[in-house]
Amino acid sequence: MFYLLEAVNWSQIWVITAVGYSVVFSALILLIFVFKFMPKVLNMQLKRRLKKEGKYVEQGDTEEQYIAGEVNAAIGTALGLYFSDLHDDESKIITIKRVERRYSPWSSKIYNINNVLPSRR
Amino acid sequence: MVTLLTGGDASAQDVLQGSGADSSSALAKGMDTFWNYTGFSNISFGNIIMIVVGLFFIFLAIQFNYEPLLLVPIGTGIILGNIPFVEGFQIGIYEDGSVLNYLYFGVVKGVYPPLIFLGIGAMTDFSSLISNPRLMLLGAAAQIGVFGTFIGAMALGFEIHQAGAISIIGGADGPTAIFASSKLAPELIGSIAIAAYSYMALVPVIQPPIMKLLITKKERLIKMKPPRAVSKTEKILFPIIGMILTLFISPTALPLLGMLFFGNLLKECGVTERLAETARTKMIDIVTILLGLTVGASTQASVFLTKESIMIFVLGAASFIVATAGGLLFAKIMNLFLKDGHKINPLIGAAGVSAVPDSARVVQHEGLKSDPSNHLLMHAMAPNVSGVIGSAVAAGIMLSFLM
Repeated sequence: MFYLLEAVNWSQIWVITAVGYSVVFSALILLIFVFKFMPKVLNMQLKRRLKKEGKYVEQGDTEEQYIAGEVNAAIGTALGLYFSDLHDDESKIITIKRVERRYSPWSSKIYNINNVLPSRR
Repeated sequence: MVTLLTGGDASAQDVLQGSGADSSSALAKGMDTFWNYTGFSNISFGNIIMIVVGLFFIFLAIQFNYEPLLLVPIGTGIILGNIPFVEGFQIGIYEDGSVLNYLYFGVVKGVYPPLIFLGIGAMTDFSSLISNPRLMLLGAAAQIGVFGTFIGAMALGFEIHQAGAISIIGGADGPTAIFASSKLAPELIGSIAIAAYSYMALVPVIQPPIMKLLITKKERLIKMKPPRAVSKTEKILFPIIGMILTLFISPTALPLLGMLFFGNLLKECGVTERLAETARTKMIDIVTILLGLTVGASTQASVFLTKESIMIFVLGAASFIVATAGGLLFAKIMNLFLKDGHKINPLIGAAGVSAVPDSARVVQHEGLKSDPSNHLLMHAMAPNVSGVIGSAVAAGIMLSFLM
């Protein structure tokens, strides 16, 4: 066992471990930065557009507003129930549409496979 | 058939026309040859053990509902792979030209894992991650399981490529583990896949004791702010930016991360609903069936029951424990730097191991045990999906170092 451990180039193993772990961290940290600042950039564009259109209202309180999970669930359930009930409200106009079928020998009953009418016994 | 029945020594005429002692001896010889071709004649003790393991997997899936979509195909595959047969008739998974061998091609060449990732991308909602990006750190922290297992495998005497392949079990991500081992150590695919999927199925058993050990009662009661609403633009930009950034850092993870983000783009862009629907339902189901069955069938006792397999199972268990502990402890460390009201519930650190969505479900369950009104599922999904990205990046790094 000790012979095996001595045969391993441990410095290489530690380098792979250290570099690998730090690369995983740096990749995800990079994503964190991008997605931390992305909403700000998107909001900035929106703010500029709204200002141009004169629809922008300055918010006094900069604290983010959160809705509790239970409230979200209640809203979601209500919307779900509402949309699932929508099918009951129909137009009340029931029409049987006439379907026109063009004649084609491919679907003709006259030309069946054997071209022989079934015989009666 | 006649030749088979008569052991190849008697002709059909002998059997049909012969009479008396001749035909009865030919028939006896035939029956003897037939017996030699049956599974009963060729069975080994190893086959019996593996068939019992397969039955146990099926039992776990049906009785306890542990990852049934994986354990039923894998368990059935283990039974199929260990039915004894005479080689040379293109039956076994390792015989060129057999049906199972053709299906196994997708495992050996790493075709199935990216397709699974496409489906995962198409079914995953990254909103919680986008709304609270700092939770991605937990997904990165849990990857200590990968690198810890790498050191452990080297210490146990595995060759460096094999150690790299085994280490990905610590990422708790079956497709990534299969993909990495298909490139680094194809001879260990069966053992690695079975270990990864077994421990993924056992996440509800492995993680709670570690959570109880490392997280105090007070910490478990921490309530987190609900995630903010995420705009559609952010959801569309996430897979595009994520794909470009992560693949520029780790291009070897391209098949996995590329497909994951592509699947998510199909879901979020809003104009390819049909493709997203196919990727997250029928396609992933088909690939899961093929992957599970062939990985299971690859565990023929003669190639699977070795000292290496046992060591891989030991390393796998250790890697899951280390990864879970890594996530939990990092969450506690993060809390030291966060202000009151912004602290995170450290339980969600356990979801950093990427077993999606089982580990997030375990976090929710454990959170509810401490406080029935504390729902952690949405918060846990953030480290959970970042764990998927983290383990794919880790696999890419291993591949780029060792290939």
